[in-house]
Amino acid sequence: MTDVTLYHWEPNANSGKPMLALFEKGVAFDSHYLDLLNFDQHRPDYLAVNPLGTIPAMTHGKLVLTESTAIMEYVDEAFDGPRLMPADPVDQWRTRWWMKFLDQWLAPSFSMIGWSVFVGPSVRQKDPAELEAAIDRIPMPERRTAWRKAINGAFSPEEMTESQRRVGLGIGYLEQALGQREWLASDSYGLADINGFNLAYAMPLSQPQLCNDELTPNIMRWLRAIYARPATRACWALGRTDLARRISLLESEPA
Amino acid sequence: MTGILYHGQPNGPSFTVLAAAFEKGVDLDRRPIDLVAGDRHSTALPHPIEVDQSIEGEGPVMLVGGVAMTDSVFLACYLDEVGSGPAIRPADPYARWQMMAWCRHVIERVAPAAAALGNAAAPPPAVPTGIASADLAARWTQAVEGKADATQLADSRNKIVQAVEKIEAQLADGRDWLMGDFSIADLESFAWLAGMRPLIPEAFVASPRIDAWEARLRARPAVVQALGLATVPEPEAIWAIGPEINRWG
Repeated sequence: MTDVTLYHWEPNANSGKPMLALFEKGVAFDSHYLDLLNFDQHRPDYLAVNPLGTIPAMTHGKLVLTESTAIMEYVDEAFDGPRLMPADPVDQWRTRWWMKFLDQWLAPSFSMIGWSVFVGPSVRQKDPAELEAAIDRIPMPERRTAWRKAINGAFSPEEMTESQRRVGLGIGYLEQALGQREWLASDSYGLADINGFNLAYAMPLSQPQLCNDELTPNIMRWLRAIYARPATRACWALGRTDLARRISLLESEPA
Repeated sequence: MTGILYHGQPNGPSFTVLAAAFEKGVDLDRRPIDLVAGDRHSTALPHPIEVDQSIEGEGPVMLVGGVAMTDSVFLACYLDEVGSGPAIRPADPYARWQMMAWCRHVIERVAPAAAALGNAAAPPPAVPTGIASADLAARWTQAVEGKADATQLADSRNKIVQAVEKIEAQLADGRDWLMGDFSIADLESFAWLAGMRPLIPEAFVASPRIDAWEARLRARPAVVQALGLATVPEPEAIWAIGPEINRWG
């Protein structure tokens, strides 16, 4: 028996962050899979858990937690297992700096591209009336706007160009940071790596001209090292779609 | 410990870090700079990624042992770790999650709104040279030219009204501080809202709890010290360029 339940979609982006942190800590949890593309996250039974309808959410006994990066810090502090936040205060600061940079600057650019090429087309085949009803159930106005844009393919060329510019720069920043130290924020594997991996694991596939063994050897080394961890394998085994299966590209040897 | 803090007027992120340092009794070598004039981009400061690409925009920079650190809430966490004063974060993991999630809301929703409104009310005079981040430079240009998007400004006003309502609700059980005990959440919330009273007065017409909370905050010795570093009569009216408004809307 466990008193932890995680409500999540694929091991990818925000859902994958607390999933992988729980696996690394060795915390048993009930996995409650929500199909984002079927709008499970806006149905009444989930809104009863998280009224905002955002994924992921975690319950620990009677406690309810949202915000994937903040959940990761909680998981690290509330449970036994290896420490995922470095001990040194400067490394702690760097861990949080990178997580914020990824969450607020780089991830939204990746997700704009991802929603444009994957999420939008995936849900667009549904009945328009059903789609509109599903969007009307979304509690947060910001999310309603985002879903409408994704479904209608309404991201402007300027927005997409800006996202691609940031993706290119962000890959460069990651390569630079991983050239300075073994892991993203410190000399030990930790929360910043878990956060970053969830954003970056498929980059060699989605951005092959920017992220490869020749141009970004440090990113490739880092991705392969995280992929080799048993917790990562166990976590990605919970994926149900081709999105999560993209991780298999990390089985390739360095060129 | 020794460290150098480059900071602006005690408003926004500079306020949070200055007040946190005083709360924790951390003795920093304080070096005031003019953030509105773009001093942060001068060659007198180091320019690693963490300075040039800080999400916070024109926030303070703290130098410790050759490492240049930015982003006020995380600097305050650092000061909490190394300082000797009473804790400014809850010890319980769930309470700490609540504080971090609260601060995340302020960083992501309230701060961009407040900075946009502050910049629109008091535009900076010129775009400084040497800005490494193209998106930060674009925010500067927009502010200097007074070309803020009307829809974004209206939405920003809403965000401030909602933030005041959220604080009122949080204080409804009679608590003195947002997380129960005093914490970084109080500093960070005040940092971005203090200057909103004259700009969005309608948000504060029925906010007795936030009024009392602000009075308690202003009475704290560390806050008095931080605000005492102002070199202008109304530091809360001084706005450097802040964080970006969420590109997803």
